[in-house]
Amino acid sequence: MMNATIELNGLEVQLGNRTILHGLTGVLKSHAIGLLGPNGAGKSTLINTLLGFHSPSKGSARVLGLDSHSNGSALRSLVGYMPENEAFISKMSGVRFVRYMAEISGLPPDQAMERAHEAFVYVGLGEARYRPVGTYSLGMKQLAKLAQAIAHGPKLLILDEPTNGMDPPARKRLIELIREIREASDICLLLSSHLLHDVEETCDEVLILRNGQIASICNLVEERRANRKFLELETIGAEATFTSTLESLGCECAVFSNGRIKVVMPDKVEIREVFKVAADRGVQIRRMNHRRDSLEDIFLNAMEQTGAADGRI
Amino acid sequence: MAVYKRRYNPYSGTLTAQWSRFFVLTRYAFAELFKSRFFVILLILSLVPILFFAGYIFVANNKAVQLLMQMRSAGLFSVENDYFIMMMIAQTQAAFLLNCWVGPVLIAGDLTNGALPLFLSRPFSRADYVLGKLAVLGLLLSAVTWIPGLLLFSLQAGLAGNGWIWSHIWMVVPIMFCSAIWILMLSLISLAVSASVKLRIVATGVIFISFFIPAGFGEMYNSIMGTYWGRLLNFTEMFRLILAKGFRERTGLLGPLSRNEIPVPAAWGVLILVCLLSLVILNARLKAREVVGG
Repeated sequence: MMNATIELNGLEVQLGNRTILHGLTGVLKSHAIGLLGPNGAGKSTLINTLLGFHSPSKGSARVLGLDSHSNGSALRSLVGYMPENEAFISKMSGVRFVRYMAEISGLPPDQAMERAHEAFVYVGLGEARYRPVGTYSLGMKQLAKLAQAIAHGPKLLILDEPTNGMDPPARKRLIELIREIREASDICLLLSSHLLHDVEETCDEVLILRNGQIASICNLVEERRANRKFLELETIGAEATFTSTLESLGCECAVFSNGRIKVVMPDKVEIREVFKVAADRGVQIRRMNHRRDSLEDIFLNAMEQTGAADGRI
Repeated sequence: MAVYKRRYNPYSGTLTAQWSRFFVLTRYAFAELFKSRFFVILLILSLVPILFFAGYIFVANNKAVQLLMQMRSAGLFSVENDYFIMMMIAQTQAAFLLNCWVGPVLIAGDLTNGALPLFLSRPFSRADYVLGKLAVLGLLLSAVTWIPGLLLFSLQAGLAGNGWIWSHIWMVVPIMFCSAIWILMLSLISLAVSASVKLRIVATGVIFISFFIPAGFGEMYNSIMGTYWGRLLNFTEMFRLILAKGFRERTGLLGPLSRNEIPVPAAWGVLILVCLLSLVILNARLKAREVVGG
């Protein structure tokens, strides 16, 4: 069985007298986890707690099997962190900055130098590596932050709003990079973002927070698989024999007025078989929606459900 | 792996010992410092008095040179406690100036653009961070205070011979301890200021103020209350008191000997208290900045 990447056991975090995270409990097993939630939901607090910056007032959080509080140092040696805000030393050249951070992570100077160059070339800043980081554009600074997060070869990469301030091509390139990193090794990924599209493109599992509580934990891989076989048809001339034939193939059908039929197909049935049945029965298919719940649907659903639960909607 | 191979590779090589990683900060800070020509000039200037003190020892132990200089009095050049007190005063002042230039940028540079969370999200604690920065000032100020002090002591011991070293060995203790408390106090004050003030010029001003304003308040307190305990707020004077007592000074070299003298333990207490207070401020400032807000 796959080990949990992140395990939350009644995690409660208080800052001052205010409770930010309210007894979060859940297990996230995927290698690429998205962290979603509106502003003030507790995403950054959760990340800071996982990094050991905040101590839980109750409960615990385990990352890669290590307790974030009692094994903080061991845990941080496995983590590469790309913070949301500006985080660099402006007068240092890019490659020196990344080398510096790699050495702090424990790499010997020569290895750190080599890895810093590799990381800079890898993120696409090879030409700018000898320029002071302070002179970089916002997008380049984001890439420099990513370079310092991966230079020491972490087991878990925590990315907090990685595409902030990037133009669409740069954003696309960064998302591709993140996917490449995820696929090129057994590195785990925790990505916090307001942009659902970024999370959808890079993550397999999503933790949705709202008001410091878990609104939903959703396995996107399973959702995608389930949704792939969900069809909405608008037909002319469909009779009971059409739906019964589909049902004999293993489909589940729901018939509505005006020839609208919803079909949930099992894995073994392909769409062309639906067309074949329609042709055999003389049924015209005027419209077909290959519908799937987007992450936006899942997110909005989670928001509505928790909103209803705490009496706001 | 060659840099042109654009793919992500995990790292599986050796790692440095965790205890030694604080020194990475020190190494990088020194590398940055030595890029500044002004710093190099300042460092050289702060070592110039050592040449004069060394020359003095050479003359004091060389009869031929004394004859050449037509020195008739044999006791004119003596290397005793007064000599080392003067050396310590000169060098601790040089250390103060060096500290005013170097200290303010050590932490401010990391805080200006929010780099602190990057350090602390690694297996690197706040204590490691402070230790790394403290080591910069510790090594630098040592290089202009107790290290040349001991070298001069050794030079004198070597040239004087005749058991001079055994009759003066006790002076090693004040050279070391007085330098240590001065270096520690200066370093912690400037790191606390550096963690609180971004601009170097303002930070340097604050370091000066942190010495002169309390001393001024102390004098006011003495005048109003008709006491001498206000001198406790004059850190430089407290240091000189420790220096004078450490070197068994009896000649009034550091000011007239007074019956209303602050006890030496109280002077030590004040300097240690300043160190602790600076450490508390430093810790609070770093703790407030180590987390990225969201």
